[in-house]
Amino acid sequence: MIEFRKDLFRDERDDNLNEIGKPTQRQDMVGHVTGRSPFYDDHAFEGLLHLRCLRSPHHHARLRSIEVRDAERSPGVHRVILAKDVPHNLNTLLSLMGFGLDDEPLISGGKVSYKGEPVAAVVAESERAAYDAIAKIRVSWEVLPHVLDVEDALKPGAVTVNDTYPGNTFTYHDKYDHQKLRFGDVEAAFRQADRVIEGRYQMSPIEQAPTETCGAIAAQENNGRFVCYTSTQALFFSLGTAAKLLNVPSNRLHFIGGTVGGGFGGKVDSLHEPMAILGCMLTGRPVKYMFDRAEEMQVGAPRGAERWYLKDAVGRDGRILGRQLTGYFDAGAYTRLSSYAIHKSTGHLPGPYTIPNVKSDVYCVFTNRTPSTAMRGFGITGVDFAIESHMDVVAHEIGMNPIEFRILNAYRDGDMKAHRRVAKNTALIECCQVVSEKANWPIRDDFRRMASSEGGGVGEAGRVPNYTATDQNGLVDTRNRGIKRRPGDPERPFSMPGTIPPRAEPARQPTPAPTYAGGGPLPGFAPTPGTGVRSEPRPSYAPSTTYSPQPVAPAASVASTQPTPASSAPPTPNRTGPNRFSSSVSGLRRR
Amino acid sequence: MPVSVKTYAGVEEAARALSASRSARFFGGGTLVMRALNEGTQAFDTVIRVTDPALRQVKPEGDRLTIGAGVTMAAVLANRDLAFLHPVARSIGGPAVRTMATIGGNLFAACPYGDFTVALLALDGAVTIAGGGRALNLDDFLKVRDREPRVIVTSVTITRPRDAQAFRFHKVSRIKPKGISVLSIAAHLPQSGGRVNNARVAYGAMGPTPLRVTGVERALEGRSLDASGIAPALAAATERLDPPTDALASSWYRREVAPVHLRRLLLNQAG
Repeated sequence: MIEFRKDLFRDERDDNLNEIGKPTQRQDMVGHVTGRSPFYDDHAFEGLLHLRCLRSPHHHARLRSIEVRDAERSPGVHRVILAKDVPHNLNTLLSLMGFGLDDEPLISGGKVSYKGEPVAAVVAESERAAYDAIAKIRVSWEVLPHVLDVEDALKPGAVTVNDTYPGNTFTYHDKYDHQKLRFGDVEAAFRQADRVIEGRYQMSPIEQAPTETCGAIAAQENNGRFVCYTSTQALFFSLGTAAKLLNVPSNRLHFIGGTVGGGFGGKVDSLHEPMAILGCMLTGRPVKYMFDRAEEMQVGAPRGAERWYLKDAVGRDGRILGRQLTGYFDAGAYTRLSSYAIHKSTGHLPGPYTIPNVKSDVYCVFTNRTPSTAMRGFGITGVDFAIESHMDVVAHEIGMNPIEFRILNAYRDGDMKAHRRVAKNTALIECCQVVSEKANWPIRDDFRRMASSEGGGVGEAGRVPNYTATDQNGLVDTRNRGIKRRPGDPERPFSMPGTIPPRAEPARQPTPAPTYAGGGPLPGFAPTPGTGVRSEPRPSYAPSTTYSPQPVAPAASVASTQPTPASSAPPTPNRTGPNRFSSSVSGLRRR
Repeated sequence: MPVSVKTYAGVEEAARALSASRSARFFGGGTLVMRALNEGTQAFDTVIRVTDPALRQVKPEGDRLTIGAGVTMAAVLANRDLAFLHPVARSIGGPAVRTMATIGGNLFAACPYGDFTVALLALDGAVTIAGGGRALNLDDFLKVRDREPRVIVTSVTITRPRDAQAFRFHKVSRIKPKGISVLSIAAHLPQSGGRVNNARVAYGAMGPTPLRVTGVERALEGRSLDASGIAPALAAATERLDPPTDALASSWYRREVAPVHLRRLLLNQAG
């Protein structure tokens, strides 16, 4: 039963709203409970083919060779797809927002960095025929040592998981191997503190486990476009990702989504749409690619594991004077959305408390585990588990009522937070008071009378500290991206954004990128000379004889008769090259 | 290879077809076979079914009960004669799985599955095999199960406990309901004059198949079910056992907690 506590924040709230504070019917509920909601898998196409992947049985291995002849001859098989068939076989999800470097192939051709990474896809008449063909593919593996623990991955001599980031850490601001937060001087706080209390907290990966497993169905339309029915949670994000990987203008893709059979963050990775469309391009037939349940659990990206170390400086009165946090996010083998989780997490520190001295170092670490991605509040839930566990530990250590300890340290309206924004609409004190009441865990009268709207922003609590201790620990050599500086290395001058020399793309594409169905490269994704993507003529796709789509004129000839936005638009910045973190992602960067 | 499904009216014909083909599997309720098929197994391409209603019967015979191999967990739950097995059936999967999963199929479920078989072991189960003549002890059957899977089990005969309190079952799982076993324990503890007489105790998920713990059984013989009476049994709780390590628990953990759960079961304190 929902209880609305209208006694709280009475004068801050408008009670005449039409939706907020009132029960409302979900718009899709009737369709769901009557079984009428159409999901992507409800779209039947005549001649539908099925795509299944051959996946790595190893955590980390190099492909010496892959032999697909028997698979190609297997009954019902239309096509075996390998890394060389993917037009632009390197991507990072957030490149659409200009954040991070391309680090993950759609189908791996050189090495695999996690168990379950795809190395081939078979498109066949039935799932069974595809499985049978997959069993006939012979791969010669050179098994490499692997690393599964975040701190092991940071030790000197650890194997490199992801060639784009040789030091096993995502590079923040083109500068550091971790995300920093500095507010005041925690070392001074530790010296002044009555008690210094430390803790280590670990959270495991969590699979979103949707009822409908991730998938997509792609088919050719008669106008040269490809329609894609998908379970994605992020339709245009998936469309942009597919356009990039397939090197086609996004206006040739027609994405239809809207009903997600359970997402929880696990349906943003956009792996199925490009694969299904590629299968469709290569066979001329509609193609479905859907995780089975085992794949959903093993390969579907979970909320990542996190490890946190907390160290609190506590005064005699129970006030937290300083908090130091070190966090290790397990990104798995590739970035996906983990880099962004760390930004969210850092913006949240030190939790909903006003602490005058805060220092945090958060690492996005690559390990040979399944890549991790979004899931409900990712970046926050893990560190909140660590913070709130630690609050209980500290309260116990200093012999204080844990609810009173939280109220004493709670942020209030007007307080300055560690990321230099003034707190407003805070409500932790009221939450604590209600918890105390509901859990029958009494607190002192003075704590019961406190309010989030009172007493905030006073003195030091309301402003950025006069002195903040900064450092350049973890500076990466930007000319040799990802290589960590070792102790004793000479200091490099602090380089400002804009002065960083351009860096070469990693040599991950030994073969020319093919294009299909006459698709010219999308200007936004056009390879620039010297980035490893060849711009000379490519083999063109020959449509199958059974299903002939309308011939599509190359973009250039269309432009000669009828200018299209794609050809007349000014050249857009190269997005396949290295991208600097843009402050638009989280608004954290201050210059 | 496309998958073919062969349906037979009688068990004998089906058994002949099964023994004649290396690439055939018998389909009980499908919770194991269909999962393997859905994941593209290359181990078999033929599914053999039997429609004989005799496989779905439950027959009381004196102090013994014969349960057809095709009886589902849901059918167990709907049968009053099997009330003592209701907590066991309810611990298997969720409603959808219970509607399909059979007693016979459970005998073949790989560790850590097969909790129903643990109960059947504690109830002195004997397995009847199509064309096999005499019934086989369930313990002996489980020892050869993975070596010779090309047989059709038609029924399992068990002891019907005289005293409802004498049969106890506890499944330890991290997720409730529908969790998979960290371990499960079943015990049949008939007593005369306050002393255990003919105890049978079995574990699930403590080895490659459900297994009897004869050391515990011997240690309980003639003892009373109180703290001091069960002490020798607890000491023998994990003797000669090599529990598996899987995603749910390590071998070490299973060995550590097994005596704790056995104590609770024997003292009737299992939650």
